[in-house]
Amino acid sequence: MTTAVEHHDVGPVRQGLPPPPGGLRRVLYPGFLRAAWMTPLFFGIGSAIVVLCRWWGGWHPIWFGEIIVLVGALIAAPIGFLAGIGAFDYWVRYSIGAPTEPEDHSGHGAYSWRDYFRVNTDHKVIGMQYLATTIFFFLAGGLLAMLVRAELAKPGMQFFDNQTYNGLFSVHASLMIFLFVIPAFAGLANFVVPLMLGAPDMAFPRLNALSYWLLPIAGIMMLSSFLVPGGAFASGWTGYAPLSVHQPLGTIFFNMGVQWAGASSIMTALNFLVTIITMRAPGMTFWRMPLLVWANFTTSLLVVIATPFIAGSQFFVMFDRVMHTHFFDVGGGGYPLGYQHIFWFYSHPAVYIMMLPGFGIASEVISVFSRKPIFGYRLMALSLMAILVLGFSVWAHHMFVSGMAPWLRVPMMITTLMIAVPTGIKVFSWLATIWEGKINFATPMLWAVGFVSMFVIGGLSGIYLGAVPIDIHVSDTYFVVAHIHYVLFGGSLFTIFAGIYYWFPKMTGHQYNEKLGKLHFWLTFIGFNLTFFPMHLIGTQGMPRRVSDYAPQFGNWNLFISVASFFLGASTIVFLYNMVISMRRGAPAEANPWRALTLEWQVSSPPPVFNFDEIPQVVGNPYEYGVPGARHAVLNGDRAATETEEVRH
Amino acid sequence: MRRGSIVQLIVIGVLAGAIASAVALIPDWLPSSASREAGRIDFVFWFVTGICIFVFSIVTAVIVYAVWKFRVKPDDDSDGPPIHGHTGLEIVWTAIPALLVTAIAIVSAIVLAKDDAAGANPLRVNVYAQQFFWSYGYPGYRNKLSSVLRLPVNRSVVLTMHARDVIHSFWVPEFRQKQDLVPGIHATLHITPDKVGTYPVICTELCGFGHGLMRSRVVVMDSTAFEKWAEKKGTS
Repeated sequence: MTTAVEHHDVGPVRQGLPPPPGGLRRVLYPGFLRAAWMTPLFFGIGSAIVVLCRWWGGWHPIWFGEIIVLVGALIAAPIGFLAGIGAFDYWVRYSIGAPTEPEDHSGHGAYSWRDYFRVNTDHKVIGMQYLATTIFFFLAGGLLAMLVRAELAKPGMQFFDNQTYNGLFSVHASLMIFLFVIPAFAGLANFVVPLMLGAPDMAFPRLNALSYWLLPIAGIMMLSSFLVPGGAFASGWTGYAPLSVHQPLGTIFFNMGVQWAGASSIMTALNFLVTIITMRAPGMTFWRMPLLVWANFTTSLLVVIATPFIAGSQFFVMFDRVMHTHFFDVGGGGYPLGYQHIFWFYSHPAVYIMMLPGFGIASEVISVFSRKPIFGYRLMALSLMAILVLGFSVWAHHMFVSGMAPWLRVPMMITTLMIAVPTGIKVFSWLATIWEGKINFATPMLWAVGFVSMFVIGGLSGIYLGAVPIDIHVSDTYFVVAHIHYVLFGGSLFTIFAGIYYWFPKMTGHQYNEKLGKLHFWLTFIGFNLTFFPMHLIGTQGMPRRVSDYAPQFGNWNLFISVASFFLGASTIVFLYNMVISMRRGAPAEANPWRALTLEWQVSSPPPVFNFDEIPQVVGNPYEYGVPGARHAVLNGDRAATETEEVRH
Repeated sequence: MRRGSIVQLIVIGVLAGAIASAVALIPDWLPSSASREAGRIDFVFWFVTGICIFVFSIVTAVIVYAVWKFRVKPDDDSDGPPIHGHTGLEIVWTAIPALLVTAIAIVSAIVLAKDDAAGANPLRVNVYAQQFFWSYGYPGYRNKLSSVLRLPVNRSVVLTMHARDVIHSFWVPEFRQKQDLVPGIHATLHITPDKVGTYPVICTELCGFGHGLMRSRVVVMDSTAFEKWAEKKGTS
């Protein structure tokens, strides 16, 4: 770290990459042009391997579409794309003994919009790439939800046939989970965590770039499944076997999309873990880390431990389909419930992967905008760890009616209900933090307080679902749909918005439009409740989920919900408009518009390419609002002042 | 805290509780109940609802009060009081939720055990599910097959699940009971219908393109009518 900083002092850093060479050599230069020929080349190589193997093994037909799509299009072509844009250049050069690019950090920073469209190793650029990409898939997933609600506005069939409808909600959920909530948090953390730690970048910048570029691949794969014969994958984002084994071709787009998104997620999580463990600035002990860093630390542990399980479950489904294994085929000695156990062993912790970073954002925002220290800082950090541990012991509460061993239900109910305790600690501590504070209801704070209130409702409906007898009645009904949206929309999405507004000045160097931000909050808050609260009611009354047609008695409520959901969808336009105009024409942002103590606000907005001219010295806790003379860190320039202060002590 | 603000806080809490209670009581949250299990499950539902209204009222009172009273004045740049924590308070809000969820767990476990225990001499019925229809077999009546589930009132029934292709799920909202049918697994579900009538059978596990249409009916009849029907030869 120190050597890198000294290295900069020696010579001036080039402003961005050199311009690409002209003529034929340009085709070999990393970028989209090279990707444009390497992607089909790799597709060809993948297909050739399939054809050769089938010919050699004497399997007919030799030219078998499904396997060629899988190996050629879903495995080899993405690798070709990654190689083409240059994600592997450094490693390939190094491993074949060729001279590597001198590490002059010219890959860092973004000097024009083009720099966002290449393999960039700057964590701040990668953070922005993540956010732009995830917001794109958020819009795509949201539009799919609008189509779902259009179909459900009236009983009977309106616009789609059943299989298409099943595809709509399956892709909606998959995009929102794998391409929006999880990576949007990773994007925010990518930008913020190294700054908060006082580090110049993530521990592995090239790995960081690779993790990002896997995401668009996963997203395009899931979306493009609509275009293949048979339509998109249609067995829900849960993809229960054996149904998912016998679905049309689109299913393998989901199986493989999850692999790419999961690989991205695991690599980022490893990167965060190493960064947080090894790259904290001097004086930044674990107990001085901001809670956002704590939250990403626990989330990363969850990702690293749990994600291989969903990767496994999707591989097994795919193997049953293409290699005729019998993981989930009873006739061949398989065990269908095995899928659910493996799947939920990831997908329940995944709920916390989608929530803990939001807890971190809420803690930052609530403390800063209440001008008070976070209440019970250590218990807040410890409750994250408690959720991490308990989160691995509750997966079968998704399976109370699944036909698993009946004795498992009561122990899983107890662990499930126990999670209410650390979650309750967090909620009460946030409330105690705003208590007697000097609350400034700027947009980020509105989202954060909105989050707390909505998350309480989501948590309480979770208690209903945790209690086995009630769960037996409401499982797989709209009550569950209401619950997950209160948790993932009212929880995760609200905190993502809180984070985007909170760090917008830091990321872009411009202030967002406060009026539009507040308007966006209120429209979303009202639309959200009108859309999702009635779903509790129709669920307990007897409307199952994942159906395109329903009993006429639910007609009025469904029409109401559909209208409300269009209103909710339209509220996103205010957000997009605000982002676009503020990024271009917003007032220049100060370094620290919120008067926050954490390190990211102690540098300019946007931060310099290498974050800190000098590694900061951390001297205190991050939330000492109202404590006279308290400091979190000392940056260059202030050092003389502190030294005299220390002498005085 | 001043006495006046405690009163205000309580008033907001009571108001929030009243609104939440109205939301809980005015619409018909649960379909009519047609089995003994339903009565017990509804008890758990309202027990949890009571606890949830209590928690919701407290949280809402604190949020509304804070939003109302602790708003900063536009030109006030000062910080709030530097309170870092309060161990006693933290113990209280760890212990009370722990007690509440323990109560819920105990009530749930008792109800679950009661619902799982079939009475003496239960009627046995096989439930068969395949894409996308239901059928029912009566092993006690020469394996009589029916596309409508007919059950006698006030007699304990044990349903044994048979899935012929993919996973389905058997649900009768009026019985409040649900059980997945998984290929290779013959789970059982216990029901004691206690009201004569016709109720929907709904598949609640996504089972393919026809999932939304996979419906059937359960007819609860008095026991003599049931016996007469069951003894009749042939399928119906």
